[in-house]
Amino acid sequence: MEMNTIDKQINPQSILSVISASHIGPSLVLDQDAHWKENELPLNADRLVNEVMGQPMRRAGRFIKMVACGGLSCLKKVSPGYLNGKKTGIFLATGLGNVDEIMPFITEVFKKGGGFPSPNQFANSVSNAAAFVLARICEVTGTVLTISQEELSFETALWMAQGYLESGQIELALVGGCDIFTPTVEEYRERVNLSDKNSREFPMGEGSSWLLLGRDEQENIGDILAVGFSDKSRVSEDGSSNVGRIAGMIPQDNETLKKNRILLPGFRMKKTAADDWRQHGWRVEDYLPCCGIHSTAAAFGIARTLQEKSNTLFLHYNGQTSDRQAFVLGTTK
Amino acid sequence: MNKAEIYVRGWGAVTSLGWSAPESARQLIAGNVRLAAVGNSPHLTNRELKAFEVPFPGNPLDKSMNMLESVLEEAFRRANLSAKEIAESCVIVGTTGGLFIRNEYEFTEAVHQNPDQESPAISCRNRGPGEVAELIVNKYKINGMVMTLSMACVSSSHALVVAADLLRREKVRRAIVVGFEPLLNMTLHGFASLLLFDDDQCRPFCAKRAGMQIGEGAAAVILESGELTGATYKFAGGHLYNDIKSMTSAGLDGVTVCNVVQETLALAQVSINHLVAIKAHGTGTRDNDLSEGRGLVKLFGDKLPPVVSLKGAVGHSLGAAGAVETAVWLSCCEQGCLPRSFGFSEIDPEIGFAPSQANIAAKDGAYLFTFFGFGGTCTSYLIIKE
Repeated sequence: MEMNTIDKQINPQSILSVISASHIGPSLVLDQDAHWKENELPLNADRLVNEVMGQPMRRAGRFIKMVACGGLSCLKKVSPGYLNGKKTGIFLATGLGNVDEIMPFITEVFKKGGGFPSPNQFANSVSNAAAFVLARICEVTGTVLTISQEELSFETALWMAQGYLESGQIELALVGGCDIFTPTVEEYRERVNLSDKNSREFPMGEGSSWLLLGRDEQENIGDILAVGFSDKSRVSEDGSSNVGRIAGMIPQDNETLKKNRILLPGFRMKKTAADDWRQHGWRVEDYLPCCGIHSTAAAFGIARTLQEKSNTLFLHYNGQTSDRQAFVLGTTK
Repeated sequence: MNKAEIYVRGWGAVTSLGWSAPESARQLIAGNVRLAAVGNSPHLTNRELKAFEVPFPGNPLDKSMNMLESVLEEAFRRANLSAKEIAESCVIVGTTGGLFIRNEYEFTEAVHQNPDQESPAISCRNRGPGEVAELIVNKYKINGMVMTLSMACVSSSHALVVAADLLRREKVRRAIVVGFEPLLNMTLHGFASLLLFDDDQCRPFCAKRAGMQIGEGAAAVILESGELTGATYKFAGGHLYNDIKSMTSAGLDGVTVCNVVQETLALAQVSINHLVAIKAHGTGTRDNDLSEGRGLVKLFGDKLPPVVSLKGAVGHSLGAAGAVETAVWLSCCEQGCLPRSFGFSEIDPEIGFAPSQANIAAKDGAYLFTFFGFGGTCTSYLIIKE
């Protein structure tokens, strides 16, 4: 129950089929690790919007555009009408929300002598405005949640979606993580609560990465086997004491998966911890150079792995400054 | 008592009417309700926008921290939770502004202290909505699942229904649902820019209504399933709906509201005849009250039970509204009396009913709670007083 799920066996009822995935990083190139530079961010998202949406989104800011493009590009990978008649939920994870539109709005609010705050910016700045836009595009009227929990936002959203799917309340879940780069780098780092001591050394980035999940789906690109959390009373600070516990959860009957196991370390995971995992047979696959640090980078790492790796067991592991930790264990086809 | 049933084990609230849920309830029942006023807090930049402000002698950041601590301590005390029980609980926070108050306070302080200098542009230094939950789990050493719903006005009402779902599925042992919304320049100016403020008074369901007024508030509601000694209030099911037709209203024809409430009653297997009263969202805006009022009339017809909006008395506490209004309502029930709906003077013929205009007995039975938020979000749930 609740935390410390790490020492449990995988519950077959909780395994999720990944039907499709998409990832967009700071280069704003769909499903690719295109070149990008922190000091050139943020890039204009209009080309991406035209490519994915087929028309401009004139009244939306970058956050809403990124959420819409990420979610829709994931859905475009399944046949048209796949969602028809199926109870679908949307679980949008974001660590910071729509700072991109909050910033200019509050700048006007606090302008000396009085500014002119934009009602459109205020309306868009509400965190769930992005989920509304995506839900309208997908025509989803059931469970639509905007979930935020700093650097564990995506894992939390995935855990929630797992519960809703398991209970049968929904048949499909579109789960994504989106956070966007908002200048300056220094202020962005402060918002993500980064210091040399509590994070790995990578440039800041952004992304909108999504998974379409179901249960017992035939046409899947992989599975999410487990989503777990543990607290500081149960694990070492670097997560290495969880190696054995997680090893016990891995399917023992698949030799390929035993060999092809990769660790996707989150941005809070220290180098020393990655070394410990390596010693236990996990090959470290760093996705952060492809998307940079952002609160929901885990979504990018997991979606990218599901799209690019075959026959692989993957484990995304990340911590939080308060020493809470989360893992996502999955396989690719 | 059925093991699968979910009960409210404790609650606490801070509103402009008092620093505890019973105090707010006492003031409501006694009719000691003040009109919204221009805020006193030194961080407020506008001296015209009226709000329901929580009284406090210190600075707004200290006030916000005190509000958070006060509602949690009150709820823990009422629930008689041990430190171990607190530690193993799940925390779900509903908030829109999070700790943005720190940003606003620090910026305005810097400006006040340097009157001769050109003020810098304000920065956004807070860590997102999840920061409030992190503050709570660190302070109370909570090891359970933690999450934040940042979904405008339904943030904490959605959180209550999500918590009940998690309890029903045995995913969590106990849920501490927190609503937290300090008074912010950002939201005051935001709603003003949308022309949604009533400069004079918040008048839910009234023909003279012209908009909402923001209320500062925080609350904690503790839900638990299973055998609870002395538990009186059963959380009897809730329903979440996402209306994709409009970002700003739940359909002026009332159909969406009618369907959402109907689904809630069906899920809880409660007949409309068994409702004691409705704690309506009732913001005082033209559109919300029209869609909600029409929806309730469509469903209940001449069997409409007493309808009360608390927002004429405590304002709209935005993301905290679900938890705040639930906690205050339960304290009213405990005191045996439901307050009248403040701010009403004239029936709107397009709505067709007057909200409750006299205190009524808080009898045993089912109470319906409704919330309709920005972004097409709809929440409704039932709490049964046993």
